[in-house]
Amino acid sequence: MQTKTVIGASALTVRLDNRTILDNLNFEVGKGEVFALLGGNGAGKSTTLKTFLGLMKPTSGIASVLGKNVALHTNDVQQSVAYLPESVTLYGHLSGFENIRYFLSVAGLNKSDNEISVALRKVALQENAWNNALSNYSKGMRQKTAIALALLRNAPVLFLDEPTSGLDPAAIDEFNALVSELAANGATIFMVTHDVYCACQVAHRIVLLSNGKLTGSFERIGDTPIDTEAVHAVFAGRKA
Amino acid sequence: MMRFTDLKREAGFVFGHRQIKLTLLVVFLLSVVSLWTGFAEMQEQQATVEQLLEKDQAERDSALAHQPNYGSAAYYTFHLTYSPPSPLAFTAVGERDVFPWKHRIRMLALEGQIYETDADNPELAFLGRFDFAFVTSVLLPLFIILLLYDLKAKEREARRFDLLNVTARNAHAIWTARVIVTLVPLALVTLAPLVVFGLINGASLLSILTVCAIVIGNIAIWSAIVLAIGAAKRFASFSATHLASIMLGAWLVTTVIVPVTAHTVINAVVETPEGGDIVLTQREAVNSAWDKPVEDTWRAFIATHPQWADYTIFDPERDSSFNWKWYYAFQQVGDQTASELSKGYQAATLQKDTIASYVALLSPSLLTQRLLSSAADTNVSAMVGYENDVRAFHKALRKFYYYHLFKDPEFSQESFEALPQFTPNMRTLGESNKEN
Amino acid sequence: MIFSVAKTICADQWRYWLRTKVAATVLLLGAILTLAALIVNAFHVEEAAHAREHLQTEAEERFKAQPDKHPHRMVHYGHYVFRAPTPLSVIEPGVDTYTGNAIFLEGHRQNSAMFAQQRQSAGLTRFSSLTPSFLALALAPLFIILIGYGSVSREREAGTLTLLLSQGTTRWQLILGKLLALIAASGLFLLPLLLACLYVAFSSESPLVVLLFCLSYAVYFLLWATVVTACSALFEKSSVSFTVLIVIWMSACVLIPRLGSSVATNAAPSMGKLEADFKVEEKLRSLGDGHDVNDPAFKKLKEDLLAKYNVDSVDDLPVNFRGVVAQYSEGRQAKVLNEFAENRMGEELEQAHIARQFGWLSPTVAVRAISTILAGTSLETHHRFLREAEALRLEFVQGLNKVHVEKLDYKLDMDRNASEEAADKAVVGADNWALLSEFNFNPEAANTRISNALIYFLQLIVWVCITVLFLKAAVRRLNP
Repeated sequence: MQTKTVIGASALTVRLDNRTILDNLNFEVGKGEVFALLGGNGAGKSTTLKTFLGLMKPTSGIASVLGKNVALHTNDVQQSVAYLPESVTLYGHLSGFENIRYFLSVAGLNKSDNEISVALRKVALQENAWNNALSNYSKGMRQKTAIALALLRNAPVLFLDEPTSGLDPAAIDEFNALVSELAANGATIFMVTHDVYCACQVAHRIVLLSNGKLTGSFERIGDTPIDTEAVHAVFAGRKA
Repeated sequence: MMRFTDLKREAGFVFGHRQIKLTLLVVFLLSVVSLWTGFAEMQEQQATVEQLLEKDQAERDSALAHQPNYGSAAYYTFHLTYSPPSPLAFTAVGERDVFPWKHRIRMLALEGQIYETDADNPELAFLGRFDFAFVTSVLLPLFIILLLYDLKAKEREARRFDLLNVTARNAHAIWTARVIVTLVPLALVTLAPLVVFGLINGASLLSILTVCAIVIGNIAIWSAIVLAIGAAKRFASFSATHLASIMLGAWLVTTVIVPVTAHTVINAVVETPEGGDIVLTQREAVNSAWDKPVEDTWRAFIATHPQWADYTIFDPERDSSFNWKWYYAFQQVGDQTASELSKGYQAATLQKDTIASYVALLSPSLLTQRLLSSAADTNVSAMVGYENDVRAFHKALRKFYYYHLFKDPEFSQESFEALPQFTPNMRTLGESNKEN
Repeated sequence: MIFSVAKTICADQWRYWLRTKVAATVLLLGAILTLAALIVNAFHVEEAAHAREHLQTEAEERFKAQPDKHPHRMVHYGHYVFRAPTPLSVIEPGVDTYTGNAIFLEGHRQNSAMFAQQRQSAGLTRFSSLTPSFLALALAPLFIILIGYGSVSREREAGTLTLLLSQGTTRWQLILGKLLALIAASGLFLLPLLLACLYVAFSSESPLVVLLFCLSYAVYFLLWATVVTACSALFEKSSVSFTVLIVIWMSACVLIPRLGSSVATNAAPSMGKLEADFKVEEKLRSLGDGHDVNDPAFKKLKEDLLAKYNVDSVDDLPVNFRGVVAQYSEGRQAKVLNEFAENRMGEELEQAHIARQFGWLSPTVAVRAISTILAGTSLETHHRFLREAEALRLEFVQGLNKVHVEKLDYKLDMDRNASEEAADKAVVGADNWALLSEFNFNPEAANTRISNALIYFLQLIVWVCITVLFLKAAVRRLNP
């Protein structure tokens, strides 16, 4: 690979209570790549994500982001990544705008209202909802707000957990376009999902995770999206 | 390091919740109301003392004017003794509604007078008083629990916990800031009314600061307990309300179960003379003296008052028609007979209190309550101190009258100007304890 | 039909409680505490009863065992009465530990009670005591909240609410099922109390009183179960219902009772005993000193007596004039003392009434009033003790004075101070001391206690209505 490794797993193993959750994972993600980790329930997707975010320590092996060992430089790594949790509920008593302002301040960033507006427009959150309390938002709207927050972090690496859950097809298309744009501008995107369609549309590489082991890998060739049927078949465990 | 921006942001965040503002308002109201009721009551008590002193003096003067001799003077005149409320007594009623704080006594046997209660309405004492000590030692922890129990658990349940920790430049700063921004206003709304009332009542700045320190200490301890339970690894997966149940359990155990269990155990362990026995013994001794030969009484009396050994002869010409000397001698002997039991009773009271102070180390609420009554001078030792004041005064009274009964029976109204006056804290002035 | 569905829901709720640790722990803890409290309190009461009985007997024996004496000395020797605890005080000790339980009865004075237990408690029991009534009134509701705060809201949070309602379960069936489950749980706390009451009912207490006593507590627990279930249904999130219920508990069980007592103190201040003493003495002075036969206040008495027996001087009277004076003076004094005592008791009662008015704001206050009144451990009973003690006092003092009048020669009496022999002559026989009656204190008749508590029953009924309306509102607003 010519592109420098932005996210790397090297013999990554995580064991908890005598159970092996991640077993000797090895992969690399380069700059500007969209990398999708597919897996069923209980495959170890959340654990993988938590390890890369520094929320969990590997039992052996190394998880690295931007060349740094996550376990050793947790704070530095956290400062340089943006995280979108699964089905996150931001603060219901604050508006979408206020939520973003709050989290940006928490991150130590200072963005003008204009910049926030730009981001919200980018994720296509309707303007008349910006100042409503978040408790009035639909699931899709909440997801969009969270995505906008991740965008505003301007981080070189984005970790997304089930980013399309709750989005309708139109919103999924918008989301895919956004992701591709970010990647084209140099951001590295690590996505954990079991939305096969979305992953195929946007990912440069798809990797299947099953029982903590990598069981399959697909790569995009040129500009053609990866074959959804093929991925689905392997994912569902159908005999070829 | 936490920056000011962090504090400011978290302050805005925390106060954005209507709940917080409401809770702080409620605590403020509770503080004000509890302080006000205590203040009003102590004002009342102070006014009562002044009124009573006036009446007492007038009574005594008019009674003395009609007396023919010292013996009957001592029999018919009463003296007011009292324990004035300290400047901070309004914060903690303490034992003032269970122990007496005023007595009118005369020179007769003290053991028959000192156990009377002029206590308040027992039904109100049974319900307990709504004073500042109650609010800060019992209610404030509940509010702390309500404010802080879901600090982290709420974020976990909404899946924001990881997001916050990852996004934050300094995750610790967020939690610390939220705690500080919640607790500092809580302390302020609780203590600001106290300072105001304290200054109005003329309490010294040092004593007011002491009370503030005690309350802040209680807030700190309870916050530590609540945060420790919230952060415990073992409870990491528990829901917020589950955590709250545990915290309430801790409150229940320390505020209810520990004191009450200790009370039962202490009562079983510490030997206490029956109050009834003291008065029965004293009365028997006093009344049997009428039937016994006079010498028996004198023997017992002279044993403790050797200085009057030469003056025991009754001369109806010189002394009054009734043998007052002997009368007061056997009153004193009655007291002496009961003194073992009486001392034992007081010692038991104090001993139980001392043990209770150790028990308080297991219960922050109890500790706060005790510290506050100690600062307000309304605890057990203060009330026992008052009892000893009364004893000291009675001793002074006897000293005065013995001189006139035994040595100088020449009756004159002017001699009553030397009559001892009761002052609070008389017990500390009793250097002449050896003399009788 | 409605019932079988409700029963299923009830059974499922119990299964949930038994499988989750919190509920099971709370249930167990609550039951143990109540049982422990009952046993400990029963011992205390037994002990107190024996001690006081023993002291009472001893006091009576000592009085009667006194040797030949001048009767007025016996008036000053006096007598002690001790108040034995009532049967239901094993559950509701009420004001017992705050009032003294011994009174010294003597001539010319009304003393107050002495030796309140609370003085010996080192401040440990000022907030709570482990009496069964405190447990039931203040702690049991907390336990009920801890068990039941999420009974309906957890269904909503898990999504099973929609499932249940869409299957044809009506809202009422659901809520009723939950309510029944919670009532059964509260019944566990009530059980030790009921057993104790049964035991008491077979001893010396009126069965009607015991029945009403138990019923009040049962209704109280029902109230709380209803409020908890209603809140659980009303609020979408368990945590909100929890917070609201804790706040309600704090107000009703901890705050309002105490607020009531503080308001009562401030609103109806009562004159302390010492202040009253001054007024009493003023009045008494005008009645003359009963020890001094020559006091001008008794001039008329002397004249009337001389006229009645048709003699010229008191020495010739067939009765002892000193005794007559003593008797007369004691009677008038007693009138004055009683006037002030009744005044004082009236003030205290007014204060108690004000404090109990807070029962409109908190069912805990209402039930506590009912509980103390029915158990005979309220202020009313203490006042009755004071009155009966006074009656005994007057009886034996005037009895002694009568002996003084009829059996002691006037001349011997007047010469008693001349010498020791003279003093020995001025006595009456010790068999006269048998006039002292036994003192047996019982609380008021059952009917009196019940009628005293009527208004508080009314408060309780109003609370029942309020909670039922609250439940109805909650059911109506139950939406999946």
